[in-house]
Amino acid sequence: MAVVLIRLKLALMRHSFTGMRVLGLVLALLGAALTWYLAVSSPGPRVRSDLLPLVFAVWAAAWALGPTVANGAGTLRSQYFALLPMDRRRTGALLLVTAFVDLGPALTLVASAALVWHGASLSAGAALVAVPAALLLWVSLISLSRLVFRALGAAMHSRLGMEIASVQWGLFLALIFFGWMAVQPALAATLELRDRGLGEGPTGALLAALPTSWPVHAVDAAGAGAWGSALGWLAATALTSLVLASVTAVLLAPRVTARGVRRRGRPPGARPLSRPARAVLPGTPLGAVVGKELRQWWRDPWRGLEVRASLWAGLFIGLLAWSSDTFSFFAPFAGVICAFIMVLATANMYGHDGTALWLTAVGQGPGTARADVRGRQIAIALLSAPGALALSVLFIVLTGEHWAWPYVLTGLAAVFGAGSGLSLLFSVVALSPGVDPQLRVDANDSGDNQVQVWLSLLSLPVLASPAVLAAVFLGLAGAPWAAVPVGVANGLLGALWLGRIAHRRLDGRLPETFTRIRYGKAVALQAVPEAGSLLDRLERTAISGNEETRPQGS
Amino acid sequence: MANDDGPALELVGLTKAFNGTRAADGVSLAVPRGALLGLVGPNGAGKTTSISMAVGLLRPDAGTARVLGVDMWSDPVGAKRLLGVLPDGLSLPERLTGGELLTHWGGLRGLERGLVRERAGELLRVLELEEADDRGVLIAEYSTGMRKKIGLATALLHAPRVLVLDEPYEAVDPVSARVLTAILRRFTDGGGTVVVSSHVMALVEGLADRVAIIARGRVLADGTLDGVRGPDATLEDTFVRLVGAREVGEDELAWLSS
Ligand SMILES: Nc1ncnc2c1ncn2[C@@H]1O[C@H](COP(=O)(O)OP(=O)(O)O)[C@@H](O)[C@H]1O
Ligand SMILES: [Mg+2]
Repeated sequence: MAVVLIRLKLALMRHSFTGMRVLGLVLALLGAALTWYLAVSSPGPRVRSDLLPLVFAVWAAAWALGPTVANGAGTLRSQYFALLPMDRRRTGALLLVTAFVDLGPALTLVASAALVWHGASLSAGAALVAVPAALLLWVSLISLSRLVFRALGAAMHSRLGMEIASVQWGLFLALIFFGWMAVQPALAATLELRDRGLGEGPTGALLAALPTSWPVHAVDAAGAGAWGSALGWLAATALTSLVLASVTAVLLAPRVTARGVRRRGRPPGARPLSRPARAVLPGTPLGAVVGKELRQWWRDPWRGLEVRASLWAGLFIGLLAWSSDTFSFFAPFAGVICAFIMVLATANMYGHDGTALWLTAVGQGPGTARADVRGRQIAIALLSAPGALALSVLFIVLTGEHWAWPYVLTGLAAVFGAGSGLSLLFSVVALSPGVDPQLRVDANDSGDNQVQVWLSLLSLPVLASPAVLAAVFLGLAGAPWAAVPVGVANGLLGALWLGRIAHRRLDGRLPETFTRIRYGKAVALQAVPEAGSLLDRLERTAISGNEETRPQGS
Repeated sequence: MANDDGPALELVGLTKAFNGTRAADGVSLAVPRGALLGLVGPNGAGKTTSISMAVGLLRPDAGTARVLGVDMWSDPVGAKRLLGVLPDGLSLPERLTGGELLTHWGGLRGLERGLVRERAGELLRVLELEEADDRGVLIAEYSTGMRKKIGLATALLHAPRVLVLDEPYEAVDPVSARVLTAILRRFTDGGGTVVVSSHVMALVEGLADRVAIIARGRVLADGTLDGVRGPDATLEDTFVRLVGAREVGEDELAWLSS
């Protein structure tokens, strides 16, 4: 999932592509106007050198996120050029250059030029320094945009790329869910800012340290006549631009290597058969599934992206909540939110594995389907619980809101438990295949599951409601810790009961489930009774509701 | 449990329609014990569809299959225990190494751990996948031929009595192909039964003792190699006689030689 909400968003936006482009341009125009307004109307150079770093940081953030939001993958893909008789590096550099030629970048250049105004207000020398500084800043901004956008495409080819994509998706998710928390205080702050600047404080210090602020420091130093440090900041800015531009050019170069994360040496945890490790997991079907799943979770970039994105989303949501006054009580629940997102992320496990389900179908013994479902539940719990727990501890300790402990623990137990059952049930009943795993290239290849996401968003709160109600009423009664066992029971029951429905369904319909993956929508629909049980109807909904990523063919 | 006589594998009127067209149309076959049957036919003939229904991957619209007398669609667990399967072009747990896949697979089938390790090691060695396993190469990084070989290893691991292999020779290098043939012979010599599908007639001719020709979802001929071939010089001639062939006319594609 992570991925899903974004894809959902992207799908919506793709259909209104020109609209989005216009909107983007309007925003850029407004941004340039606002930049100049702030630069010109601020009461003096001191406030201005406080404001410009903020403004440039916002530009950087907008450029990093904007293009992904505005148009999914519909741009020139460097693979298109892979067969041209041209050096790969050169192609990459050229593609980067083309990125500067557009209205958006032009408006950005206009905005960067506000730095020259700032310099001119200080001294002629400062204005002179401001010209290259503004240009370098501009190069950095546009390169950053391409870098982040391309990193999404390249996400599956390097650890770093995957991490960048995860951060981006995490941030995006956080903004979709909880961006509103930040809006109101941000507005209020901006109004004051114009008159007073940032002043002293952690935010100002943090902003000042950002590379987007370095050109401003260079100009300020020149204005103060400190030429050494002016040149120093300018050099640092130049270096940043150079690094960004060259990394981007490399990333933009068409790829000819095999898909998947490139690695050196043995993958983590892999041992040759000839030198076996001491077995940790029991030698049962269940142990076999847990072992396989943990390895796949650890090594598959498509799965890694889901896990990382939910962790990052949890982190960003926590930070958003913490930084807003009104909602800071919510920050301790970042881990619970992360657990919630993990449930959405794991609601299509059999779609993820694609036709590899043939192994389970062909090797079906009396307890195979049960082991398969339970093993996945266990692996997911082992994998995601530590992260969510760590996030919870982090934010409770940071905010010092120790009252939240029993509520957070109750929430974690209920969401993890009920969610683990729910996601496996959806994985079986509402499965939606993507591009078959051995053919995957892009971050979006692992199957559409918007139906699962929406249904989970609706049903998980209902399933966890006993724990939530217990927490509320026992909390009011002054015994919040008494809610924890209720949460644990809620979670355990949900995991066992829903998991049981899932493995029974899978056991009875292994060939049908495989058919869904192997033969596509039309054939799959034939195998589901039209007026069947609730599960049948759910299955039909998922088959027709999810987009077919690519026909599987024969 | 399995009965003692009768065919090793029986397909009985297997039928499947995709979107109104019949990919398999009453496919019936009986494969005697110890036989190596080649199922031949052009691309799209219905080989994969028929095999999928026979091994429990695709529920037939009509008909059934029996493995050593055990009905695949009424006792799937019993039938699948006797069967080793290599499907064509499907995924595997892509982020495992070959050794890890076999270990997982043995565990999933409930085999004892020591036995799995022993057999898996031997299979990797014989199929020349041992070196890749030592280096920790993931299945995602395997070539098509290597994928076939590790797939074959999964089919063999639990020592089945009937093997059904879909296009096992495709993309396999000549040396590995000889190994594969030797394995199949060893298997039939020990009383096992093999079904191999292929669209390469010559290959089947040199390998199988029985053949079945399938085209447009129907079995056109079935019997011993000599019986099916009859008076024709090669199996390909028989095939052309049964199915008809499209010749390239003088004036077609003339630009290719200009
Ligand atoms: N997913 C599918 N949807 C619709 N028709 C299919 C699908 N897969 C295969 N077919 C059709 O079934 C027929 C038989 O295919 P298949 O059994 O794969 O042939 P073979 O294995 O002999 O090459 C073909 O005509 C093919 O078009
Ligand atoms: Mg085929």
